[in-house]
Amino acid sequence: MNEWQKKSPLEWETYLNKLVKVAVIEKHECEGWVLTVDPVSASIVLATFPENESVSISVVLGHAVEEVEILKEGDDEMEQRLSCIFAPEESKAYSPEELEKRKNNLKTWLETNHIPITEQGESGKTLCVAGVLTIDPPYGPEECSSSNEIILSRVQGLIQGYLEKNQ
Amino acid sequence: MTPAEEPVPVPVLRLPRGPDGRGRGFESRRRHPARGEAEAQRARARLRRRFLRALAAARGRPARFWLRAGVRVDATFGAADREAAALLVEALRTPLGLQEAALLRGPDVLCFRFPLP
Repeated sequence: MNEWQKKSPLEWETYLNKLVKVAVIEKHECEGWVLTVDPVSASIVLATFPENESVSISVVLGHAVEEVEILKEGDDEMEQRLSCIFAPEESKAYSPEELEKRKNNLKTWLETNHIPITEQGESGKTLCVAGVLTIDPPYGPEECSSSNEIILSRVQGLIQGYLEKNQ
Repeated sequence: MTPAEEPVPVPVLRLPRGPDGRGRGFESRRRHPARGEAEAQRARARLRRRFLRALAAARGRPARFWLRAGVRVDATFGAADREAAALLVEALRTPLGLQEAALLRGPDVLCFRFPLP
């Protein structure tokens, strides 16, 4: 393990959103804005924004890192830009009333199909199916979470069908 | 009448206490993580989640890989295993021709680059 790999996660976090120059073994070099450092392999993920081209992502494997030099701190705008790169797809923005309606419609439909469902969490925004699966706003198949894969896939299928029918 | 099967006693090896007076070769009962550890764990989770998203974004993208000994190859990124000890690539261009699928050993890869769509 090299010095870079021995750092702690909190130390690696201090490099986020900074422009760095990474000295890579065998006389290579990589420069870019730090998106993340993998805590398992200590690999550094960098973003560069070449002119007239889309974003370029470089990954330097942890074992190959010789030295990391900080060149510049990122400002708020850069931080925002970087955090958007891998952000999960933005879902359509729903108003609180729309979300409430979606929630109640889904809850009613599940109840008429004899599926035990309750509301939980702060302000009852999360739906809970049979105590093992939760559905967060905006109550689509992607917002289902469960540790049971079979129930997860069944409920996702049900919700998918429900949304297709009622969309 | 068959005799009842006697359970065979299993010898238990009981080690003496260690020099610090605790542990007989067993880990002591898990303590609650100290506050510093919880912070580090949260940081670890945040960093890892971003890294996994980066790998997911790399999937199917044309990439260039820099390997040891000055070797550089182009391929389509497939996936990485848990510790990035192996990278799956497709359509690997080598001097011998096109490999439909290949595993690059993590320790052999120095870095790779891919454009986002």
